[in-house]
This record gives sequence, structure tokens and C-alpha cells, in this order.
Amino acid sequence: MDMNTLVALGERIEQSSVGAAIAESRYAFPVIEGVHLIGLSISVGLIFITDLRLMGLLFTHVPVRDVIHHLRLYVLAGFALVFLSGGLLFWSEASALIESPAFPFKMLFMALAGVNALYFELVLAKQDAVQENRPLLPRNVKLAGAASLFLWTLVIICGRLIPYLPHWT
Amino acid sequence: MSTAQVLTAIQNSAVAHAVSKSNHMVGAGLQIVHVLGFILLLSSIVLISLRLLGLAFAQQPISKVGRDATRLIWLGLILTVASGTLMFVSSPRMYYYNPAFELKMLLLIAAVLIQVLLLRRVCANDSPSPAVARTTVALSLISWFGVGLAGRIIGFI
Repeated sequence: MDMNTLVALGERIEQSSVGAAIAESRYAFPVIEGVHLIGLSISVGLIFITDLRLMGLLFTHVPVRDVIHHLRLYVLAGFALVFLSGGLLFWSEASALIESPAFPFKMLFMALAGVNALYFELVLAKQDAVQENRPLLPRNVKLAGAASLFLWTLVIICGRLIPYLPHWT
Repeated sequence: MSTAQVLTAIQNSAVAHAVSKSNHMVGAGLQIVHVLGFILLLSSIVLISLRLLGLAFAQQPISKVGRDATRLIWLGLILTVASGTLMFVSSPRMYYYNPAFELKMLLLIAAVLIQVLLLRRVCANDSPSPAVARTTVALSLISWFGVGLAGRIIGFI
């Protein structure tokens, strides 16, 4: 599938009744944008806080296991808001998003952040030092925190750049 | 000087020209710093709120959680206020007469007052009354969510 086919598909999506209704309403689009911002402040924000804890920079008196377990529900709730609002935004401006180079990069960095989180959850968090809550954490845990902080920052940067970078050339 | 004259003077200042006449990616950079700062600010408020409601870090003293969260709140506030001030200075007339901007500033004043007068005092006490804690959390979250929502609407009206 080439770019023109994708953009044409995007145009069909945004011309559907829901897409058009959001785009044409005076308040729907900005309010959904606001919900997207609040949702990501909760989800990505609490992930930032978790990352800073993994790096040993903040909340060092709270066990890493507690930080991860206690915040998980709220991170997921924030992501529910983000994906719901993000889906609606895509529905109403699909072709513009497909054409902006910032959008595929945002998706790429999100996928990488997801892989990093999964690797942490399935491999790194299983280490004795994390399970037994030792004050000194292995280097790979700190690195995973730094990688997450870096990747999510790139996601936010790319997201905010979408209206500033409408085309590849 | 009237308000309009003050706004025009700001708009014609060297700082305003430096921001608005430069490459438009400078404006994008300010927007990015503004969003990242807001994320740090709001997530720290959410974290303190969860602790005050007993939903997270319940084994840790409120004052200790509050101390680290306050550092992040300050960092977030410095980033948002600095970038926001430069954004305002670059086109003061556009912002000043925008109703969403006015609402955002009123909510921001309310949020900061709630922070300084209520939340800080509640966090100084390691066992605040649950009713006081709940009320403070509700007021704080509503006002900060409102700041974010109103801020996002500025560009659309």
C-alpha cells in the first residue's frame, strides 16, 4: 500500500458520520484533546515517577514493588482515557495524521516503550534484588527506567509536533 | 497606559520578537516544554492525592511522600510557567482576549491557592482527617484538570 492509498483511506475514515461529527463540532475536538492531555498526564506522568524511582532519583524510601503495584491501576485507567480520546481524534483527522511524519514516529516510540515495559515486567522485575526489595538495585533496572523515561519523552515530543510537521517534505 | 497599550508594548518588545519572528519550531519547542512540565506537575498532584486517599504508598508517611512529590511539582511549575510566559509574551493580544485563556488563569490561581493554603497543610500532618483530605484532593484535582482542559481549548476558539 502506498502513501496515497493510506491517505485516501484516512479521508474515508474522517468522512464517516462519527469522524465528521467530531471535526464539525465547535467543542468536541478541543475537549477530546483536553481529555487526551489529562489522560496522558496520569498514565505517562505516573510512569515518569516510576522511572525516576527505578533510577534511584526520587521516592527512594518507597519499595520498587509498591510503586509498580500501587500505581498500575491508575496508569491503566489513564491509558484507557488516552486510547479512547486518541482513537476519536484519529477518527476525525485520520488523513492529516497519516501524512504527518511525527505520527508514525510517535507510534514507533510508543511500541518501543511498550516492549521495554514488557521486558521489565517479565524479566527484570523477577530478579531477587527487586523481589526482596533491596536498597541497591541492579544496573539493568536503572537502565530500564532511563529507557522508559527517554522513550515516553520522545512520544510526547512527537505528539506535540504533529501540527507543526504536517508533511514529510 | 491602557491594557491594550500594555499588550501592544509587550508584543513589540525584543523578547516577543525573538520568539514570534524566529523559526516556528521555537514555538513548538515551548509547547513541548509546557506539556512535559504539565505532565510532571499533574502526575505529582495525582500521586499525593492517591496517598492522601490511602490508595497508594499507604505504609509511607504522608509528609515523606509529599516532600518528594513537592520537588516534582516545583520542577513542573517552573517549566510550565517559564514556557507559558514566553508563549504569552510572543502574542499577548491573542491570549488576553481569549475566553479559554481567562478561564485557565482563574483556574490556575484557584489551583495554586488550594495547593498553598490547603494541600500543603494537609500533607504536613501525617494523619489528617479523612474528610478534610478527601475534600482537598477533590478541589485540587478538579482545578488542575480544569487548567489542562481550558489550556487545550485556547488554540481552538
